[in-house]
Amino acid sequence: MSTTEETKALVTVRGLTKHFPVRGASFGKPAQAVRAVEDVSLTVAPGEVLGVVGESGSGKSTVGRLMLRLVEPTAGEVIFDGQNLGALGPTALRKFRRHMQMIFQDPFASLNSRMTVGDALMEPLKLHLGLKGRDAEDQAVALLEKVGLSTDHAKRYPRAFSGGQRQRIAIARALASSPRFIVADEPVSALDVSVQADVLNLMQNLQQELGLALLFISHDLSVVEVITDRVMVLYLGRVMEVARTEDLYDNPAHPYTAALLQAAPGYTGESRQILGGEIPSPIAPPSGCVFRTRCPFAIAECAQTIPILRELSAGHYKACIRDDITL
Amino acid sequence: MPQRDTSLAPAQHVLSVVDLKTHFFTDAGVIKAVNGVTLSVDEGETLAIVGESGSGKSVTGLTVMRLLGRTTAKVVGGSIHFRGRNEENTDLLALSEKAMSRIRGHDIAMIFQDPMSSLNPVFTVGDQVAESLRVHKGLSKRGARLQAIELLRQVGISEPEKRVDAYPHELSGGMRQRVMIAVALACDPRLLIADEPTTALDVTIQAQIIDLLRKLQKELRMALIFVTHDLKLVKQIADHVAVMYASQVVEEGPVDQVLANPRHPYTRALLDCIPSRRDGDGNRRTLKPIPGTMPNPLSPPDGCRFHARCAYAQPECVAIEPELQVVEGKHVTRCIRWQELAL
Repeated sequence: MSTTEETKALVTVRGLTKHFPVRGASFGKPAQAVRAVEDVSLTVAPGEVLGVVGESGSGKSTVGRLMLRLVEPTAGEVIFDGQNLGALGPTALRKFRRHMQMIFQDPFASLNSRMTVGDALMEPLKLHLGLKGRDAEDQAVALLEKVGLSTDHAKRYPRAFSGGQRQRIAIARALASSPRFIVADEPVSALDVSVQADVLNLMQNLQQELGLALLFISHDLSVVEVITDRVMVLYLGRVMEVARTEDLYDNPAHPYTAALLQAAPGYTGESRQILGGEIPSPIAPPSGCVFRTRCPFAIAECAQTIPILRELSAGHYKACIRDDITL
Repeated sequence: MPQRDTSLAPAQHVLSVVDLKTHFFTDAGVIKAVNGVTLSVDEGETLAIVGESGSGKSVTGLTVMRLLGRTTAKVVGGSIHFRGRNEENTDLLALSEKAMSRIRGHDIAMIFQDPMSSLNPVFTVGDQVAESLRVHKGLSKRGARLQAIELLRQVGISEPEKRVDAYPHELSGGMRQRVMIAVALACDPRLLIADEPTTALDVTIQAQIIDLLRKLQKELRMALIFVTHDLKLVKQIADHVAVMYASQVVEEGPVDQVLANPRHPYTRALLDCIPSRRDGDGNRRTLKPIPGTMPNPLSPPDGCRFHARCAYAQPECVAIEPELQVVEGKHVTRCIRWQELAL
């Protein structure tokens, strides 16, 4: 990423890497690791929505968790508004968390079933903002209204709500501490299409109204196109392509991006090439370009070196050595 | 207004479901999960049943397979006729459990969303494909194994000679779904019911499985019922589509006609919820969610089930329970205003 992007950024990620050790390795064998994320660098500007797409096992969720320091990186750093998160001690980190929140996929699992919605919303208000009693209650109600629910919902338990309503509550809870950055990991994937549209609109409106920076992780390319400003494509823990959303969808430069777009059920273009095979094991990723084993354009050189992420045009980067192919 | 002619001899279709009613008798009351569904599918044809959670689409499939537990679920009306290999027309609801189990997995097969829970974890995939061949086709152990390897090859599993001895947990989600398809196809069924078979898979793998299903269907001339929540997939795989809402079919017809010229406000609304490409100027399309929620299945609304969420509802929509009406040819809709609405 260029330095000008970094100076504008709210969140800057440099060389982020995460290897999970594999348990159960027997004696005498070398210790193995799942290489979930390899050398990922990115920036998110204030008020910007960055999409992260890729198949299962591409490392997109791990990137989100690393950025909030919910898991410790093997290497690399995350800088939030000038503050290196890795340098924060446990207490300082806990305090710092009010600036960055997360929304999960499954609203049935992410809310405490024994806590009323009002209490669930007041908890972060008390913890992060120090609100008490009446103030906290008023603020909780204000949050509910912000996400399209009403005062009398506060006394109910999560089980009384539908999936879409629960996701609204999860959003309200994420907003409680007035964060500036939210990681949303597949926030609409568990919802029916009609409800999905509703929650997406809500997220988009709130994001714009509050000027939130958002990392939007999804496997659904059509959803990502609607809500994001820029998109990053991951494969086997590595960045394949980054571009402004229109650029990426109109002119994908990496064969993997093109393959993903063509596999989407709504694809209408003429040349539809179905990608064969499956994502390889992250324990022993292919040498050179990790995508080469499934890439229809792979040549011998692709196995030699790991392609660097190069800028093709302003803000459009790809990690592929071949410029002589038409996608 | 012309109403749909359901008197057509059911014998002409591979499967013909007429006015099916499957109700669940729960402590809280009666849930009419499927309430008057009429569907048919012919040889070599794909019918997609599309709807949101709770629309009754899966229960319809399970009723045809007679896989619903007898404790709470009951078929209280309608008929399901199936034309088997010998061209004999059978009323599936009248069959004994034993006779049904001969048809199930042999003449009619089903695949589900989650292949991990439908495959048995303690048997190899080869055993599971072979089991069906031994039970229904009476093949020897050796013969069944060889046939199983052939089937695994047919569904696109590489090195089937090795994979035949693998256990389900050793395979990826896409591979497991291929194994499920191999199990389903083992006896060369006339009808395959696929209930959200690609929902748990990545898009690239989904595209592979859809491609495979289409190819196999063409080769084997099966009738295919594809249950899904995804209208975009319907376009790719189906000839006919039935849109279900709150236990009823609200619109049905050839895919091209229904999707290009929907004649029910719910179908239109579903299409409008789908995020699509930006317009020519690069502007984001705003999504139009459907207001409100699915009606409570214990007490569905009077009149048209969709009236409370419908932008075009009028007083008569609450008063009259609409019947399916013919739009054109095989295209039918359950909306009394279909002729006047510009959807």
